[in-house]
Amino acid sequence: MSSAENLLQNKQLTDGLKQQRLDQLLARADIWQAANEHRRQRSGITTGYAGLDALLAGGGWPRGATTELLVDQAGIGELGLLLPALAELTRREQMVVLVNPPHIPYAPALASAGVQLEKLLILHPQGPRDSLWAMEQSLQSGCCGALLSWQERQPPADKDLRRLQVAAREGDCLHFHFRPQSCAASPSPASLRLQLASDGDQLALQLLKQLGGRTGQRLHLARAADLTRRDRPLH
Amino acid sequence: MLWLCIQFPRLPLQALTRAQRGGPEDVPRAVVEQQLVVDANRAARARGVHSGLTIATACALCAEIELLPRDTEREARLLQELAQWGYSFTPVVSPRAAGALHTGDGDYACLYLELGGCLKANGGLEPLLQQLRSELRQMHISAFMGLGHSPSAAHMLGQLEEHRQWLAGAKAPPSPQQWRQWISFAPGKLLDCDHKTIAKLYACGIKRVSQLLAIPLSEVGSRFGRDFVDYLARLNGTRHDPVPSYQPPPEFHSELFFPSPLDNSEQLLFPAGRLVRELCQQLQRRQLYSQQLRWKLDFGQQGCKVVSVEISRPLLDAQRLIALTKLQLERIVLEQPVQALELTCDRLQSLGQETVDDDLFGEASRVQRSHQLLDRLRARLGHQALSGVSLKESHLPEQAWQSADSLVLQSRQRGHRVQPVNAARPSWLLPRPDRIQCRQQRLFYRGELRLLQGPERIDGYWWQHRRHARDYYIARGEEGGLYWVYQDLTSEDWYLHGIYA
Repeated sequence: MSSAENLLQNKQLTDGLKQQRLDQLLARADIWQAANEHRRQRSGITTGYAGLDALLAGGGWPRGATTELLVDQAGIGELGLLLPALAELTRREQMVVLVNPPHIPYAPALASAGVQLEKLLILHPQGPRDSLWAMEQSLQSGCCGALLSWQERQPPADKDLRRLQVAAREGDCLHFHFRPQSCAASPSPASLRLQLASDGDQLALQLLKQLGGRTGQRLHLARAADLTRRDRPLH
Repeated sequence: MLWLCIQFPRLPLQALTRAQRGGPEDVPRAVVEQQLVVDANRAARARGVHSGLTIATACALCAEIELLPRDTEREARLLQELAQWGYSFTPVVSPRAAGALHTGDGDYACLYLELGGCLKANGGLEPLLQQLRSELRQMHISAFMGLGHSPSAAHMLGQLEEHRQWLAGAKAPPSPQQWRQWISFAPGKLLDCDHKTIAKLYACGIKRVSQLLAIPLSEVGSRFGRDFVDYLARLNGTRHDPVPSYQPPPEFHSELFFPSPLDNSEQLLFPAGRLVRELCQQLQRRQLYSQQLRWKLDFGQQGCKVVSVEISRPLLDAQRLIALTKLQLERIVLEQPVQALELTCDRLQSLGQETVDDDLFGEASRVQRSHQLLDRLRARLGHQALSGVSLKESHLPEQAWQSADSLVLQSRQRGHRVQPVNAARPSWLLPRPDRIQCRQQRLFYRGELRLLQGPERIDGYWWQHRRHARDYYIARGEEGGLYWVYQDLTSEDWYLHGIYA
């Protein structure tokens, strides 16, 4: 083989290597390419609401990332928003972990929403250190489909949120973090932030932040008709 | 029959000091019993301290010697552990304890193993002996071995230097002639009998066993008694040589003693790791598994503390068991220094076909990972922090669910499945109903409540003293939240019971 040929081959090899590295870099979830928008993989887990899926960049809840839900008031359908996705995950034999839920998750309601109760794990760790540890372990383990956590009294430090986000990416787990709306102004590493409020019979969503997608949209989701129907009770 | 006799000359010392990491050989130590030195370590022996000396002489030879009282109970336990270890190689094992007081050379604790039946399974004599030696070295137990056609012969030949040299490079069991040659060559003092008999033998001018065997047995019998003739026959192989057979209990127990107590829970990790490795070897050989490791931290006079590690699935991987133990030990604050660490596993269960957790492929590994996660969470957070939920058949809302203690991760359709009630139920239930203010026919809970639907009457236990009669409504708060409220029919009070989150 002549040296010129050899050189040419080497050049091709290094070019191939460079291209490969570039592809690896571009395949990262946190790099958004406007030009390739239409070729993007719709890798999200469907939310069960077509309108919401259309707004989200991945066509559903972002996988392996933290989703922040900013809610001030209980009872506006914040858990109902997640239930279709959770039911789907438990049907796929993945665990769903609830860390520090504010009340008892009521089994009949969850079962009728399609959640497999055998796959539901509820954790009540003592103290913020243990709960952060438990959350990180569960997110990393790779056997959890989703983890729901509720913010305790003191807001977690920024570096803790970042660690949880990284852990969720490692374990390819959906992480839903419920926080009060007062945190909306503070920056957060979450890849999706949604503000939830009630508007009449509907749940009003606002996208505050979305990695690789547009933000600022508002969406109204109607609540289940059998809840909001008025039948003039006797009382 | 091929018998191996492993003798443990340093057992009294090693039972006490085995727990320590390599170094402390340079501190002279001796084990004493009844004012006599029973055993001494290398540093002490270099200074001239050997067994049989009185304490006063030993102290005179070496002033800074550390004296440890002999603990025969601990020795016996260690011998049992060794028997259990031996049982993992061959099913015919017999331990023999040391004599009460150390009197002569032939009185060490020893272990008889029948190797004839297990040579093939262990890859022949040479690899088997090598493995035995290397595992003893790992356990920090010094030993010497003898091979014979009967237990008595193996015991005697173990003390014969020529035989030991041969055994170090032995490839195959020797021929009967060779054994006879060794036995007849052996000096008379190696015979396993009391001092008086040996003195008598020497008085008769009998220095080697060959000389003894040349005398007709009836003559020997009239001089040294029937038992001695019996022993010679057993040594020769002309008579059966029975030894008590050992049956291992279905449990594991091992203990490490620290001559200088540990006061930091991190220091416990090293000895704990050694115990777990011993356990895993045992379990693997006997094809058993344990669902619980029970650690006992012994504080000496100040009592003890028991820590248990639960394992959800059969696990034979020492690293993972150590990691689980570490999580538990890290939580402990030691108030007193620890003098001994003990690992106990009762109720060892046999390993079924389906249960081993080492699958290479997809689904099984996910289940396996979730079991590992649960074990880790349980180890650090404690049992009470983990729970699941399940359905229960009941009319009363607060009894229609129950907290599931152990999580069923593989959903199996078994028997009757409870169906949830076919009505809109809230996803949060309050642990206890919250009282709602009622003023002038209007309800107030963080603002005024308006009733949307209802009533759904739930009336249970009317046949009992405590009747539960309630009318349930769905109500909306001022800020848009939907609540599940009820009016108690007996007291006419209003309560909040659930939230439609």
